Order: sequence, then C-alpha cells, then structure tokens
Amino acid sequence: MADNAVAGYADALFAVAEANGVLLTVEDELFRFSQALNSDENLQATLDDSSLPVDRRQQIVEDLLEGSACPTTKALVSMVVASGRSSRFSSIVDAFIERSASSRNKTVATVRSAVELDDSQKDKLVTALSGATNKDVEVKVVIDPSVIGGLITEIGDDIIDGSVRRRLNQLRENFR
Amino acid sequence: MRRKGIRISFSLLFAMAGLLFFAGPVSASGESIGSCVVEKLEHIMEDGHHDGHADVEHLFHSLHAKEGATEEEQKAVKKNEDKLESCLEAPSPIIPELSEVIWGGGAFLILFVVMVKKGFPAVKAAMDARADKIRDDLDAAEKAKTDAQSVHADYEARLADAKNEASRLIDEARGAADQVRSDLVAKAETDVSEMKSRAASEIEASRQQAIADLRAEVAGIALGAAEKVVQSSLDDDAQRRLVDQYIDEVAGS
Repeated sequence: MADNAVAGYADALFAVAEANGVLLTVEDELFRFSQALNSDENLQATLDDSSLPVDRRQQIVEDLLEGSACPTTKALVSMVVASGRSSRFSSIVDAFIERSASSRNKTVATVRSAVELDDSQKDKLVTALSGATNKDVEVKVVIDPSVIGGLITEIGDDIIDGSVRRRLNQLRENFR
Repeated sequence: MRRKGIRISFSLLFAMAGLLFFAGPVSASGESIGSCVVEKLEHIMEDGHHDGHADVEHLFHSLHAKEGATEEEQKAVKKNEDKLESCLEAPSPIIPELSEVIWGGGAFLILFVVMVKKGFPAVKAAMDARADKIRDDLDAAEKAKTDAQSVHADYEARLADAKNEASRLIDEARGAADQVRSDLVAKAETDVSEMKSRAASEIEASRQQAIADLRAEVAGIALGAAEKVVQSSLDDDAQRRLVDQYIDEVAGS
C-alpha cells in the first residue's frame, strides 16, 4: 500500500519533471534535498508535525529551497509536504531516481563516501560498477563522514561495503 | 448331709442306751469277799457232817490243828486255810469271768450289728461325702492352680511380648532417628555442595561477565582511540588511495 503510494508519487514527480524538461536538474536537486532532510532530524520532525498548518510547512521548505533549486523542484517538494508524505520523502525520491534512471536505461548506484570524489574517480567507479553488474550504472554520491574512509555502494538490494567503518566494526566484533 | 448327722447321732444314742442296759447284769454277776468266805465255810461244815462231828467244833478243828495232831490232820487244816484264802485272791486281770464274756460278747454283738446296720453306713456315707468333698476341693484346688499357672504363663507371655514390642519400638525409633539424621546430613551435604557449586558457577559467570565487560570496554576504548587515529591519519591522499583501491576491487571482482 505504502509502496504503491511511494511508486505513485515517484511516477507523478517523474511525469512533472519530464514534462517540464528539467528531469536531470530536478533529479539532482531532489537527491540533495533528500540527503539534507535525512541528516536533519529537526527539519524532519517539523515537516511531519501535523499540528502545524500545511501552508506553514510548505512555506518552510520553499524558504529553504529559495535560490538553490529550480521552481519545479520547489513545487514538487511543496506538493509532497502538503500531502503529508514527508516522512516517506527519501523513499519517494529514491523511487523517482530509479524511475528516472531506468527511463534512460540506467541503474542508480548510491555511493556513500567520507570525502568528495573527483570526476576521474566517479568515471572509474561508474566503469567498474557497470562491469561488475553488467548494467549501465549512474552514480549518486552521498557524503557521509561516518564512513571514515573508502566507499559503500548500494545498487538495488546489493551493498558493496569497502569502508573503514566496516573494518572497524569487524575489529569490534572480533574483540567480543 | 443333715440326715447323715441325724443318723449318726441316733446310732451313738442307741449304743449308749445298750451299754447302760447291759451294765446292770454284768456288775450283778460279781461276788463279794464275805459271800465267798461264807460259801467256803459252808463247804467245810458239810464235810464235817460227813464225818459225824458237831458243826462248830468241826469247823474249829478244821481250822486249828490240835497239839500232837497227825500230819494228815495238819494237811486238812492247811487245805481249809487255802480254801478260805482263795476268797482273798483278786480275780484274774486278764481272763474274765465266763458270764462277763457272755454278756460282754452279746452286748458287743448287738452293738456291732447295730453299728454295722445303722452306724457304719452313716459314717461311711459321711466319710464318703467328706472324701468326695475333699477330692472335689483338691480337684478344684488343682484346677485353680492350673488356671493360675496358665494365667501366670499368659502374663509371662504377655510381659515377654510387651518387652519384645517395647524393644522393637525402641529399635524402630532408633532406626527412624538414624534414618532422619542421615537424611538430614545427606540433605545438608547436598545443599552445601549445591550452594557451593552454584556459588562457584555464579562466581565463574561473574568473572566471565567481568572479563567480557572489561574486554568490551577495553575494545571500545581501543577502537575509539583507533578510530580517532585513523580519522586523523586519513589525509586526502589516503582517502584517494582507499577509493582507488575500492574501485580496483570492484573492477576486479
């Protein structure tokens, strides 16, 4: 039910962005906003707070996105918040990105890294992941300091974890 | 019993009456010394009649020998003296007079017959009754003795039973007490050993827990320190190398 709703919203976002011809921009801006939302619990709680009037919450996200996002992105985020689905926002965005990537015959790989990757690294990573999965892979990089070093790649349900965090966790397990 | 007594009394009364009845004639048959002397003198005087002498003179001469009398005359005087002296002799103490024998025998026979007919059965009956009574009494005494002995034996047996029972109960009680004591001792030992083993296992568990906690804490501290070291030592070059290494691994897989 919820997944159907998520897929429905993702389809709607995709349709709107494609119709406006700003699919890539919207995709990028929604991904960034989703990351920002995930890392900011206060913002999440505020947007989920049903005691606040809907237009107040819409106003908050519009203010946040003012100047840093295109109007389409702003409108779409505002719509999701108005519909009371902000708690599922990251799922909707993930589904939207998958949908968008598959429209370009590509698979999305979410890569978590402690540091920003330069373009040559991204290209090599795309090539390596495409070769490993036999799919045309599109990389979305998420900056996550908790990874410490190395990378964590999620492609669909698969996770390729080569992070220092994992090694430290393994070490911790060995100590027990 | 009462009739027997009456019969015996009658018999005795009868015998005494017979004795008194026959006592008269028996005493009457005896002779006095005087009558004996008179009789002897009459005999001597009758002898004088035969000789033709005067009575008194004859009597005198018969009893006093004249001077110069013949030996035959002296013998006759002596004979008459003996006759008179015989009256002074007491009757024989052993051999009774014939009349006494007859009277006494008759009285005895009558009395004997009466006694046999009347007295003896009564006495016999009384004696028999007494003998029976004594025999019964003896039997009863014997029986009583036997009873007493059996009662005594019974009491002895009961006493012995009671003693056995008492000793058995004492033994039982002692055995039960021993059992209880050994049970208690065994239980106490078991409890002690259980408590010991439980305490030991608790101590061991606590020790293991403490070791695990300490190890986890040490590990946490060490890892925290390691994390900080790693984070601070991961400069841009190192980060780049890690990413390149990762890409190579993914490409090589």
